[in-house]
Amino acid sequence: MEKKRLDDHEPGPIPSPRAVDRFGFVKQDANTSSDGLVKSRPANEYERVREERRVRKWRKMIGVGGSDWKHYVRKKPHVVKRRIRKGIPDCLRGLVWQLISGSRDLLLMNPGVYEQLVIYETSASELDIIRDISRTFPSHVFFQQRHGPGQRSLYNVLKAYSVFDRNVGYVQGMGFLAGLLLLYMSEEDAFWLLVALLKGAVQAPMEGLYLAGLPLVQQYLFQLEQLVREHLPKLGEHFSNEMINPSMYASQWFITVFSYSFPFPLALRIWDVFLNEGVVIVFKVGLALLKYCHDDLVKLPFEKLIHALRNFPEDAMDPDTLLPLAYSFKVSKRLEELRQQYEKQQGKSVQSRESRQLVEN
Amino acid sequence: MARRPDEEYDYLFKVVLIGDSGVGKSNLLSRFTRNEFCLESKSTIGVEFATRTLEVEGRTIKAQIWDTAGQERYRAITSAYYRGALGALLVYDVTKPTTFENVSRWLKELRDHADANIVIMLIGNKTDLKHLRAVATEDAQSYAEKEGLSFIETSALEATNVEKAFQTILAEIYRIISKKSLSSGEPAPSSVKEGKTITVGGPEPAKKPCCSSS
Repeated sequence: MEKKRLDDHEPGPIPSPRAVDRFGFVKQDANTSSDGLVKSRPANEYERVREERRVRKWRKMIGVGGSDWKHYVRKKPHVVKRRIRKGIPDCLRGLVWQLISGSRDLLLMNPGVYEQLVIYETSASELDIIRDISRTFPSHVFFQQRHGPGQRSLYNVLKAYSVFDRNVGYVQGMGFLAGLLLLYMSEEDAFWLLVALLKGAVQAPMEGLYLAGLPLVQQYLFQLEQLVREHLPKLGEHFSNEMINPSMYASQWFITVFSYSFPFPLALRIWDVFLNEGVVIVFKVGLALLKYCHDDLVKLPFEKLIHALRNFPEDAMDPDTLLPLAYSFKVSKRLEELRQQYEKQQGKSVQSRESRQLVEN
Repeated sequence: MARRPDEEYDYLFKVVLIGDSGVGKSNLLSRFTRNEFCLESKSTIGVEFATRTLEVEGRTIKAQIWDTAGQERYRAITSAYYRGALGALLVYDVTKPTTFENVSRWLKELRDHADANIVIMLIGNKTDLKHLRAVATEDAQSYAEKEGLSFIETSALEATNVEKAFQTILAEIYRIISKKSLSSGEPAPSSVKEGKTITVGGPEPAKKPCCSSS
């Protein structure tokens, strides 16, 4: 055993000595079957046939290399939305993500740009990025090997982005976005998808999550707190009695779009919808989690509550249970109202800060 | 004497863990609260939280510890957690001089956002990496003396001094609390209900004179 490990120092893929799930994460416990492996292995013939039929439908919708996609989306947007909500077939996920996010167009419009950013530019964030590389999806085989292809790609994408947008640079959390993307596409594709997300090619730009002051995190937390009060009033009241505020549990929901600590099969399904419908799904999933666990949460005191909000039970995180519940929340209109309310408040507090400074000076 | 139920304690002390990213804050916390060390740990996003109840100077003290993301930009979220904290563990990495150089910036953060009487302990972590040490114990020690901080070096990996670090800061907080209640003529509260934190000093941090050399 010891000898074999020494041999592994040669370049090339290391044969992983540990069992991994079907997404490439090292299994924590051989007894748990939460990884989807047991379920998705030709559990029964019926499931397999159904899955094949689904993939065929999707292929038809996409066309060769995505050629028919835009046409299909224009013609039948509701069908596309419905199918995405049911989950994009894993073998097509990388391609479809690039199509729905608008990143494919960015890539085609900017030939050679990524290479330029990676090879020739230097970034002030290089050391910060390096420090976090081994701390991003540390339990995934692709990112485990020190200086292996996974870690190198992750570094390149993050460095390229930090040069591409020096205002954002590199912020902890971005690695989880890039890491997730790299499991489904090439470095260059992942980079442009990151650009599409942060700059807002199709959906609202995410960059405010990472800019100085984390303004968008603050806004989203404000909106979430209000939505909890409105949709789950009893829990909202319990939270304020126990002095729980959303920054204690939900910052990472937004900053990493559930990719930081949620089960991977759930994170992927959320990302399918996130890329097509935007951040509203993060609010909906958040509300769904709270609703699913509502009756337990309202009974818990402060410390246990925080623990529970960071460790949802396995059954709550089954995508086929949680997502339909999430879709049942209608929040888009209210989110927009709350955004305006928040901006008004911010405007006021900035004004009062400025006038106070004037007085003090 | 009947055994105390788990939830009972004499004092609840809120403590924050701060310092540059990657210095080992989360592993100090997990070593102290769960006696665990994780080689494959993820960077902390936002804040994490854990508690442990222990005996300090004959009292049962519950430490409620907030672990914060170290990257500068996260201070927009994390600095709110300094309020009401009675203690701060300011961690640097003994193998990374910049993390020690940044200690003064963290102290400024605390002055700006924490209560004025907060007890601060400077911690040099990762002493297990002996061949990589780049910050001398004496330098950190004299810096701590100059700034009026307690100081200790730890290894979360080898579980060296972690217990002692937390014990020391909790004991220091306890001494201040009991002295304060003596001087104010009130008896020291012998039992505090869960969820209540004792705060030292007023809610507003004392204003520093503008000409202070710090």
